[in-house]
Amino acid sequence: MAVISVSHISKTFEGMCAVCDLSFAVEAGSCFGLLGPNGAGKTTMMKMIYGAAARDKKCSGTIEVFGFDPACDELSIKYLSGVVPQENNLDDELNVIQNLLVYAKFYGLPARVARERIETLLSFLELSEKAKARIRELSGGMKRRLVIARALLNNPRLLILDEPTTGLDPQVRHLIWEKLRQLRAGGTTILLTTHYMEEAFQICDRVLIMDKGRKVLEDQPQKLLEQNIERYVLEIPQEQAAKAIDGRRLPEAVRVDHAMGISRFYCDDLDRLKVVTDMLDGQAYYLRQANLEDVFLKATGRGLNEKQ
Amino acid sequence: MRSSESVPYPHLAWRLYSVWYRHMRVYTKNLLSNGLPPFLEPLLFLAGVGLGLGRYITESMDGMSYLTFLGTGLLVTTAMFTASFECTYATFIRLEFDKVYDGMLAAPITVNNLIVGEILWAGTKGLFFSLAVLCILTPFGIVHFPNALLAPLVGFLTGVMFASLSLLVTSFVKTINHFNFYMTGFLSPMFFFSGVVFPVSNLPRPVQFVAEVVPLTHSVRLVRAVCLSRYELVLLADLAYILLFVAIVGALAVRRLRHRLVS
Repeated sequence: MAVISVSHISKTFEGMCAVCDLSFAVEAGSCFGLLGPNGAGKTTMMKMIYGAAARDKKCSGTIEVFGFDPACDELSIKYLSGVVPQENNLDDELNVIQNLLVYAKFYGLPARVARERIETLLSFLELSEKAKARIRELSGGMKRRLVIARALLNNPRLLILDEPTTGLDPQVRHLIWEKLRQLRAGGTTILLTTHYMEEAFQICDRVLIMDKGRKVLEDQPQKLLEQNIERYVLEIPQEQAAKAIDGRRLPEAVRVDHAMGISRFYCDDLDRLKVVTDMLDGQAYYLRQANLEDVFLKATGRGLNEKQ
Repeated sequence: MRSSESVPYPHLAWRLYSVWYRHMRVYTKNLLSNGLPPFLEPLLFLAGVGLGLGRYITESMDGMSYLTFLGTGLLVTTAMFTASFECTYATFIRLEFDKVYDGMLAAPITVNNLIVGEILWAGTKGLFFSLAVLCILTPFGIVHFPNALLAPLVGFLTGVMFASLSLLVTSFVKTINHFNFYMTGFLSPMFFFSGVVFPVSNLPRPVQFVAEVVPLTHSVRLVRAVCLSRYELVLLADLAYILLFVAIVGALAVRRLRHRLVS
């Protein structure tokens, strides 16, 4: 059963198409990732889902979240969902607990229930020791976890996160991923945006790669890899690669791509890439498995768009 | 999981209250630095201008001593200024810099709830600031109790009125410095030409006309009436002006800010 169904949705800003004819569905209890470079339209799409952005009036598409249309029933959707916006907009004047208590009012939670739930959530996100801390004293990772705790106050059935781990250190990122996996295991549906391929690979059951407002690819992360990119990648600084190869023939089925000073050789067969490394006379190279980032860059191109 | 399901999100009054509550908690967090100036400022003003300058003003103003005239006027100017600051600079910071509204709008409240809650909060600050002035005026024995207890209510109305206007101004403003035009170009002149510091009745007719058009004049007349128990029929027109002003300007502000908050 789909918790979110988006069908042929468009959103235009001053003549620019931020989201173009996008369709997807998020199944209950799954984690769905919207992937794309900055300016791809991820945040706009996400905001349309909880009513913080309005879709084009003339677009005939539909959005349904728990069966509600955000254009006419945003309150129901927001009551059932928790949202982690891109920026940590906490109240600096208040401490950790007070931030959550103030926010609990929006859901009409009685004070006693709110206090109990806050205690549980702070412990879940490993913030119990910081309960009385001022916001300024918190690290970036703590603030992020606090915003996630805030989004969980009403035990949401749907959790929406806009770039949950951007700018955080690896420990915190892994902690957040683990918590999201636990929430999903508990039945919470998760929709997130990210431009970290690893994040999508780690926690998403399904990802949609978008670029310039359009869907480029959509599938399970593993399938995206299998179907869209060779299994292995060899990376060599472009200058050295040019010198080493210098007109020599590459093995069959090796695809080359030069960008940003690096030559990348793609192939399903590791041995053929080793043939290329043998041409290098002991120079440095990096041979690895292909990852979602390679799919992503292949799909969206290596050049920067005007919003990056 | 169909749309026939009814979701128990809080009702309208509670949603407005939760917005108001957020602002109240943040404001009262620094009670001393936020709560003391409303008392000190009128005290300074009355001491400096009322007592100092007032000694040289022997003519009565609209039939009252200068201290009474000025003091009662301050009951609403303080509400005007606090509500205006709240809904210009403070709102702009919440909107553009701190992104507080993005966080609040993720909760089950609508943009309209958010803005109306904001206006009600600014009205509350108006009420509190008026009350502070009333406390200062009481020892001078120039206001008539118990009727003067209505003065903070006029402060509330004044706060709501200027909150609506200020939010409308905010909806047009692109950088925070633009508020200077509103403050220096509109609020400060109004302070002088709405019968707070001196009566407008002796000014040239065009100026009198302008004074009748701008909002503060009506608040001043209302608050003097309740403080000095001098009721006239024109007060009904003043009250009607305020209510109409809030309805029209408030609706415009909500409409325009909506576009700014929901892209």
